[in-house]
Amino acid sequence: MKSVPFSVASRLVGDAAVIYPKGYLNNLSGESLVKECGIYIGRGITKIVVNFSETDLINSIGISLLLQIIEDLKNIKGTICCTNMSKFLRDTFKMLGLIQYMVVFPVESDALKYLKSGKV
Amino acid sequence: MSIELKKALYNISALADLGQAITSESVFQQKIQSVFYVITGAFLANKGAILSYDKSANRLNTLTQKGFSPADMDRVDPEKLMSLGKNEPCLIGDDPVLSVAGAEILAPLWVRDEFIGVLLLSGKLTGGPYTEEDLELLNVIAHQIAVALNNHSLFIDLSDKLEENRRLYEEMRHIYHGTLQAFAAAIDAKDAYTQNHSYRVAKYSAAIARELGWNEHDIEGMYVAGYLHDVGKLAISNELLNKVTPFTPEERAEIRKHSTTSHNITSKITFPWKNVQDMVWHHHERLDGHGYPEALAKESLSDGVRILSLADSFDAMTSQRPYRKKMDVQSALAELKKCLESQFDNKIMLVFCRVLEKEIRGELPAPDILPHLDRNSDLSVISSMLEAIIQELSAP
Repeated sequence: MKSVPFSVASRLVGDAAVIYPKGYLNNLSGESLVKECGIYIGRGITKIVVNFSETDLINSIGISLLLQIIEDLKNIKGTICCTNMSKFLRDTFKMLGLIQYMVVFPVESDALKYLKSGKV
Repeated sequence: MSIELKKALYNISALADLGQAITSESVFQQKIQSVFYVITGAFLANKGAILSYDKSANRLNTLTQKGFSPADMDRVDPEKLMSLGKNEPCLIGDDPVLSVAGAEILAPLWVRDEFIGVLLLSGKLTGGPYTEEDLELLNVIAHQIAVALNNHSLFIDLSDKLEENRRLYEEMRHIYHGTLQAFAAAIDAKDAYTQNHSYRVAKYSAAIARELGWNEHDIEGMYVAGYLHDVGKLAISNELLNKVTPFTPEERAEIRKHSTTSHNITSKITFPWKNVQDMVWHHHERLDGHGYPEALAKESLSDGVRILSLADSFDAMTSQRPYRKKMDVQSALAELKKCLESQFDNKIMLVFCRVLEKEIRGELPAPDILPHLDRNSDLSVISSMLEAIIQELSAP
């Protein structure tokens, strides 16, 4: 099966950035995800939602890149919410212990509601 | 599935990712970056570095890193790492000798008895300890990175050597060409009438060879033969070379020795090009076997000999000589045509005419023949003549 080239889209919803990775997060092209988040963090955004609806798979390279985003947000006391995750992603994050550094929601709207509520 | 089993599968898949990163066709820096991500992703390390050992400077160079300062990296002492186990991960703990700010584990990288570099990692993001399984995995990873770095280093060494050889070859070529020019200048100095004859014959011959589709190396060999074809004239007296009245039979015989002398001189040189000696030796042979020095005919004459013979004759005819005035280009072309089959080769003549025609039409960016022809030549007349010859010789 031919894999889709990895790409990233994003939008700003209130004071939160929603990031849409697309494709298999398994090589250097995934650096664009870190870069995209970095742009928002650079602008003072501390709330990031990563909507994984179009990324079902991740490997150790993708984990390392995600780790970078978690670190960057940790340094500014920010929040990362992950939504629309496949079972594989959820299980992988859980097994690695990464889940404790993110807030997981089934869908993007739930994450945005949570961030808007100010419970963060 | 138990968490241990899932972790084991994740580790196996990380090793597969590592193999893929190492064997990818990416450039080296991208490979190393991918390898680095695989490792930090496998161990959830928020700091890490891969350093390679520069043997000549006895220092470690940072290939990639995250989270360390350049000063941290400068403190890593290769001598201390060399005493540790080869590719064996080592927990730094409180060891003051190995201490690097923020690093928790390191693996010295070795291939056989060659120290290659070091891999440094911080603690895990989760705060958990490095387990026995982690150390085993890191050992395998260290082996693979060491081999990859070593292969790259070998490749760089080979590339450097190749570059050095290329440079030496270019130098050698310059020396060859300088020597050729010196020879040609010596021939010209003896005979004022043939000034630049060797240079022009070299240019014309190379142009014909190029049009024939020869490769660059062989074209250069043809050029060299053109330059050296008359080097044997150095052994002929100035009086004889510059004689205005017709030669006696003895004098003609003496003059005719020059191609054999050219061969004898060039035979002492080991050229990187094929057949240079053969071409200079036989450039006065004819297809009908009435040439000299060996009266060879047709099949015995290589294309190189045939090219040189035509280029030499054309330049001789269009140049001033002590005993006659120079011919105009049309007359020289007519003379060459008249001597086809008996002296000159049809195919070489056709190609020569094509090159000259292209040069007149401005189709060649760097013309080799046209700049040396009489400036008063009527190019439209020459062009018509060339077209007629090309048509005639191209006919089946």
